[in-house]
Amino acid sequence: MQVNAPAIEIRDLNKFYGTFQALKGISLTVKKGEKVVVCGPSGSGKSTMIRCINQLEEHDSGDIRVFGTLLNDNVASIDEIRREVGMVFQHFNLFPHMTVLENCTLAPILVRKSSRADAEARARHFLEKVRIPDQADKFPGQLSGGQQQRVAIARALCMQPEILLFDEPTSALDPEMIAEVLDVMTTLASDGMTMVCVTHEMGFARKVADRVIFMDKGEIVEEADPETFFTQPVNDRTRLFLSQILGH
Amino acid sequence: MTAQPYLSNRRLQRIRAEYFGSAGSGLLTLISLGLIIGIGWAVLNWALLRGSFTATATQAECMAKGGACWSVIAVRWRVILFGIYPYEEQWRSAIACAVVVVMTILSCLPVMWRFWRLAAVWGLGTAAFYILMRGGYFGLIPVDEQQWGGLALTLFLFVTTSVLGMPMAIGLALMRRSDLPVIARVTGIIIDTIRSLPLLSILFAFAIVLPFVLPDALTGDKLYRVIWGGALFFAAYEAEILRGGFQGISKGQEEAAKALGLPYWHRISRIVLPQAFRLALPATINQIVITFMETSLVVVVGFVELLAAGNTAYQTGEWKFAYVEVYAFISLIYFSFVFGLSRYGAYLESRMNAGQRKE
Ligand SMILES: Nc1ncnc2c1ncn2[C@@H]1O[C@H](COP(=O)(O)OP(=O)(O)OP(=O)(O)O)[C@@H](O)[C@H]1O
Ligand SMILES: [Mg+2]
Repeated sequence: MQVNAPAIEIRDLNKFYGTFQALKGISLTVKKGEKVVVCGPSGSGKSTMIRCINQLEEHDSGDIRVFGTLLNDNVASIDEIRREVGMVFQHFNLFPHMTVLENCTLAPILVRKSSRADAEARARHFLEKVRIPDQADKFPGQLSGGQQQRVAIARALCMQPEILLFDEPTSALDPEMIAEVLDVMTTLASDGMTMVCVTHEMGFARKVADRVIFMDKGEIVEEADPETFFTQPVNDRTRLFLSQILGH
Repeated sequence: MTAQPYLSNRRLQRIRAEYFGSAGSGLLTLISLGLIIGIGWAVLNWALLRGSFTATATQAECMAKGGACWSVIAVRWRVILFGIYPYEEQWRSAIACAVVVVMTILSCLPVMWRFWRLAAVWGLGTAAFYILMRGGYFGLIPVDEQQWGGLALTLFLFVTTSVLGMPMAIGLALMRRSDLPVIARVTGIIIDTIRSLPLLSILFAFAIVLPFVLPDALTGDKLYRVIWGGALFFAAYEAEILRGGFQGISKGQEEAAKALGLPYWHRISRIVLPQAFRLALPATINQIVITFMETSLVVVVGFVELLAAGNTAYQTGEWKFAYVEVYAFISLIYFSFVFGLSRYGAYLESRMNAGQRKE
């Protein structure tokens, strides 16, 4: 891991499902501490792209570097990257047979080799940070959707990753719970976390993003700072998408 | 103070509504009640009130009382429990039974569910069982495996078959869902082949055919070959049960574990298997109960387990008439073990569901 290298460097990434090309020559660089919001219509390849970054999907060609480490078939490099890159999923994916605290301490103990006491102290710290300090001994099934997603964020944070990936973290939530999750994400952003968020929450993008990326049909179509992106989009498909999503 | 009569009043009302709601259901309830009481009384009368319990009662005396002749058990119980194990050494077989029961109970306790604790219990328990039964150490007279029998043999077969079979089942189930298509397909063929053979033919093959194929040193006594055959059979079915469990877990579970950097074995042992076992628990308990029952099949390759020992117990001379009593006694033994197992299964289910709400 090189400290001065860009956090994420993707070059000419291609991904096929059978004969269908889900990603077509994606290139993207994310600097340390940068917050990038990715949006685009359903099926445009947003999930596929960020899942390639921690190799939940294997890419077919192109280079992905995380802090300078090239991701290839080498299992060790994948394990190393996964320790540094946390991920938050649309459907939370908490482990239902473990308590909230166990969810948060499992990976630090097994992967980071933390002592149980250290791991628990850190878990409680991050549970406090996501504003659910008093639910540590409950099971995920006993929490609301918004609480579950905040536990999922705390679980990712407990590995003390350099980068956090979010794949539509609020789109499975009831409207009244969206704000509490976005608040937590905003706090993380202001703490300097490097973040790549797939989301359609345009208010969040405006407030937090350094850059907004629009994808369509497996390609990055538009890439701009939020101000430019929302007020003067260049591409027709971006305009169409924005008009649909902002309800003009 | 007023709550009590109110409650019992409510209960009475419910009973009336559920069992005597209409003339038809009232009639059915009465007939069923009559049958239950009639059969219950007949059994009680036969088994206890008119039963003979003295060890010395003869057939004529039992006939005169008109009930069960439990004397056969009093006289022949050692044959039923220990088979043809040498008479003076049967205390060893009794202790060995106790060892298996203690071993089983210990490994059912959640505090023991650590690899090393289970390994210690099973290692020590099996060694103790073997030394007691087989002898040849500590001045114990050697007893050939062919002479093991009765309850001790049944318990040993059951426990070893399931304890060897379970890791094999996990291995097969994991290989069947391998990312490498060759491994997955070959494992699938192996599982399906074993499942399409009757257990009897597998036991025959392992007991009789295997020694012709493999050198003696590799096969061991017939008893152990039979156990490996039974374990393989158990593993094939249990692997399919576990596969059902795997399918009930969402893909997101393994993805989340991967994203946290957990390596394969931790993903399997901490995330996938615990959830798969929870989903597969009812069917697994079922399979284990079936395995217990099927130990009686080893009689076809010449082992005198509990049921066969019972047969020999009444088939000698004067007790030929008392087979019902012998079978009742054996049924009671089977029942207590299987009932214990199914209660344990229910306990596990409630324990695993505690505090968890299904989404
Ligand atoms: N496992 C798969 N097998 C085949 N095709 C797939 C698979 N996963 C995704 N795809 C296809 O790849 C394309 C991109 O999918 P992806 O999930 O990345 O889209 P997305 O932009 O995240 O969409 P959404 O907003 O609906 O989540 C889609 O057309 C999808 O059908
Ligand atoms: Mg998606």
